Amino acid sequence: MTNHDIHHLAGAYALDALDPEERWAFEAHYPTCDVCVQEVDTYRTVAVHLAEGVTTAPRADLKTAIMGEVATTRQVSPLVTQRVDELAERRRWRPAKPMALAAAAAVVLLLGVAGILSIGGGPSDTERILAASDAVVTSLDGESGSVQVVWSEELDKVAIFGNGLPDSGSDNEFALWAVQEDGVAPAGLFDAADDGGVSAVIDVGGVDPAGWGVTIEPNGGSEQPTGEILFIATL
Amino acid sequence: MMSDVNPLSRLRSVPTGAVADPIAQSLRDAGKGNEAAFADFYDLTSALVYGIVLKIVRDPSMSEEVTQEVYVELWRLAPRFDDKRGSAKGWAATIAHRRAVDRVRSEQAHRNRDQQEHERSDRPSDVVSETVLDGLDHARVQNALAGLTEAQREAVTLAYYGGHTYREVAALLDTPEGTIKTRIRDGLSRLRDDFGVAP
Repeated sequence: MTNHDIHHLAGAYALDALDPEERWAFEAHYPTCDVCVQEVDTYRTVAVHLAEGVTTAPRADLKTAIMGEVATTRQVSPLVTQRVDELAERRRWRPAKPMALAAAAAVVLLLGVAGILSIGGGPSDTERILAASDAVVTSLDGESGSVQVVWSEELDKVAIFGNGLPDSGSDNEFALWAVQEDGVAPAGLFDAADDGGVSAVIDVGGVDPAGWGVTIEPNGGSEQPTGEILFIATL
Repeated sequence: MMSDVNPLSRLRSVPTGAVADPIAQSLRDAGKGNEAAFADFYDLTSALVYGIVLKIVRDPSMSEEVTQEVYVELWRLAPRFDDKRGSAKGWAATIAHRRAVDRVRSEQAHRNRDQQEHERSDRPSDVVSETVLDGLDHARVQNALAGLTEAQREAVTLAYYGGHTYREVAALLDTPEGTIKTRIRDGLSRLRDDFGVAP
């Protein structure tokens, strides 16, 4: 899909009228596009007016049921998105390893995954990303497991490897987030194997990351992180 | 409806220059774990949330289920509500619409709603309970929709109230997908002007 096409999806997106694939393509694109951000905001506001056109009071006992569930439901922690280094300082999210360590880890990683790289004819996406001259390796360590993110701006792709990821549950996927100066942008979704291993290539859609984060999100992803942050690190 | 809390009395009780948006205030307070504030938030938004969910889902008991999911999600996420990124009412309506659409799309695997869509679209809801304010809102929205071309109105309402993707709308209307995308966008632009939403 060309960029020209994708701008035209703002209206349908604001009405939740995109297929999942287009939804994610658009969500990868629009946070970086001022025109689309403005259109989505505007059309969403229009949509709220449309919702006001069909207001209907629910039965009174629905409130009782909802407040009952609310009383036993834990709230998420507030999301701090202002600055990546502030996030990295928070104790439960360990800061990124120094670059040399990350590079060394990447070499181990390369050896580790070498077996799956050369299946088929030409170079795989993974090989092209790892070989890219502009590849940037970031190590993300979390309370359980670790993840390596290899990003090539030129290829606009990320290769992500790791192990020890928790079970996301069948209704959820892992989401990679680009932590940018202007906030957090969705970079793509991936699944882990049953043993908690991951090896995936993601089209990141023109992000400008100062760091990466990983959360668990409902299938199809979210516009902004809603799940607990599993991994986060600066580039 | 809204038996114990009248939203108008709440609005009047706000002193000039103080917080102008009681919905945002109740959600911010709920974000600190305040269940009573969340109950206020529910009173102020439940007709909006349940109304849009019912419009899309149609089945009242399934609509209640979805509405409950929406509110538990809003409660869970309340600490991350940021009114710089949009209004609290808009957030609730957006999540409600998204959830309702997700529900009908996953239900579609079991039964095909499309054929029945047109005949059923004006079915009155089981609970007809409107305040005067609701009635005014409904009339205002109907007027704005009446200002669209027939083709734009059909595309916008099948997408938003029908919960269809633009591709499904194109199939329903036997019209090229690109045309539907354009009609949705043009229709929304026109509504934006009618509703006085800043571009």
